[in-house]
Amino acid sequence: MTSDSAEHTQVSPVTQSDLTVDCHVQVRLKSEGEHILLILPLEAEMPGAATWSDLWQQLKHRLNAGDRFWQANSTVHLMAQDRLLDGQKLQEIADALSEVQLQLVRVDTTRRQTAVAAAAAGYSVEQQPPAYSLNQKPPEPAQLLAEPLYLQITVRSGVEIRHPGTIVILGDLNPGGTVVAAGDIFVWGRLRGVAHAGAAGNRECRIMALQMEPTQLRIADAVARAPQTPPAQFYPEVAYVAPEGIRIARATDFAKTHLLLNS
Amino acid sequence: MSRIIVITSGKGGVGKTTVTANLGIAIARLGRKVVLVDADFGLRNLDLLLGLENRVVYTAIEVIAGQCRLEQALVKDKRQEGVVLLPAAQSRTKEAVKPDQMKKLLSVLAEKFDYVIVDSPAGIEMGFQNAIAAAKEALIVTTPEIAAVRDADRVVGLLEAQGIKRTHLIVNRLKPAMVQAEQMMSVQDVQELLAIPLIGVIPDDERVIVSSNRGEPLALAEHLSLPGLALHNIARRLEGEQIPFLDLMGEQDNFLSRLRRLFRG
Repeated sequence: MTSDSAEHTQVSPVTQSDLTVDCHVQVRLKSEGEHILLILPLEAEMPGAATWSDLWQQLKHRLNAGDRFWQANSTVHLMAQDRLLDGQKLQEIADALSEVQLQLVRVDTTRRQTAVAAAAAGYSVEQQPPAYSLNQKPPEPAQLLAEPLYLQITVRSGVEIRHPGTIVILGDLNPGGTVVAAGDIFVWGRLRGVAHAGAAGNRECRIMALQMEPTQLRIADAVARAPQTPPAQFYPEVAYVAPEGIRIARATDFAKTHLLLNS
Repeated sequence: MSRIIVITSGKGGVGKTTVTANLGIAIARLGRKVVLVDADFGLRNLDLLLGLENRVVYTAIEVIAGQCRLEQALVKDKRQEGVVLLPAAQSRTKEAVKPDQMKKLLSVLAEKFDYVIVDSPAGIEMGFQNAIAAAKEALIVTTPEIAAVRDADRVVGLLEAQGIKRTHLIVNRLKPAMVQAEQMMSVQDVQELLAIPLIGVIPDDERVIVSSNRGEPLALAEHLSLPGLALHNIARRLEGEQIPFLDLMGEQDNFLSRLRRLFRG
């Protein structure tokens, strides 16, 4: 992929609203003060009927990949929102957390059954009234980006990672895997799957990889695919949006040609 | 300490069942007690490859339902001491069993055998979930084809999420001549993508088909063929021995191919 030949990239005429992707619909881990928040998505936010097993897989992927993000023996507050969790599911979550030296101590929920189950299991519980009815749209997500998500993981086929901020992946993004970020995407490894930066509509976002062989790159509403014939040699590269669509530059040149000019 | 190993791939037709049958026999030859569990409910094949079809009376379903004792369902392979098969039901579907039941069944088997080897069905649905429920380690079988490798990658991710981190890779049906001519993915290509340790490479061989049709696994043969030897080496690596990989490319590396490579640069 080079930055100068036009046939390498294809910008599709998709409207921005079609491609604005909600990055909040996955299990999230967030550090807040001395503890870590484990935030489950609202049932209304999950596309389709997301099952417990989907949620469970997301959680395990996050926990397996994020061990640099917390100190051992940190305490966790589970923000269960409107999820219905019975004693067994709470126990499974607590077990998964303890495997990575995290300790579940508190459960916040809007559902009475979950609150009862959590109290019975000995966690401190806070039951807030539902913030809005299920038919209503969830409140507008904050415009500020979330803190960067740092993952040490191979993103394998079938895995999708969404985050309302920048994503840093130490590992490969394999074909069939997807990373969607509201901010930038860094892949410290090979990028061979689908990467979507600036998913909330920010065209200033960039995608960076040590080895750029994507299935598809997306930045905000622009889409590009990789050239049919892969280059003979790979360099660290940066993908960005130019007036004519997504362009790719060698990382060593990008700093000189783009960053300094703009400053 | 017995080991529960699931043999899985995601994609169908890459040789899971053939590998299971042969590996079971190869491990038994090393003096271990092995039970092979067919988890492919509704599409059972493992008994065919082992040539034990006509001796199946009860299946795992009957054991789980409490209609027979576990010992009654186990079929001994008379040709190789130490190999026992727990067949799957052909008349039921994968939804007939739950992961919890499978877990219980396999943990009972684990008390009596050194190795519990589970032949997983293709796909990632209920049957796969059942097969991996109790497993502590996994062998991923793939062929050097892009679709098989992609599915294998997905399966490795699912296994990781399930907490099964001891996974090893078996590359099956490699054609050294095609790799040499750069018409087939090489073992390195596959490994680069999947990023899990390799435990064996099995060359493509017509004798595998013949042996499957006869119900006589290659690993049983007195004089081992190349694929049979590769399978025996996998068994020994599972036992912790350090065995160098077979040099499959060696016989292809003749004067002509070297000349060809020279000109290609």
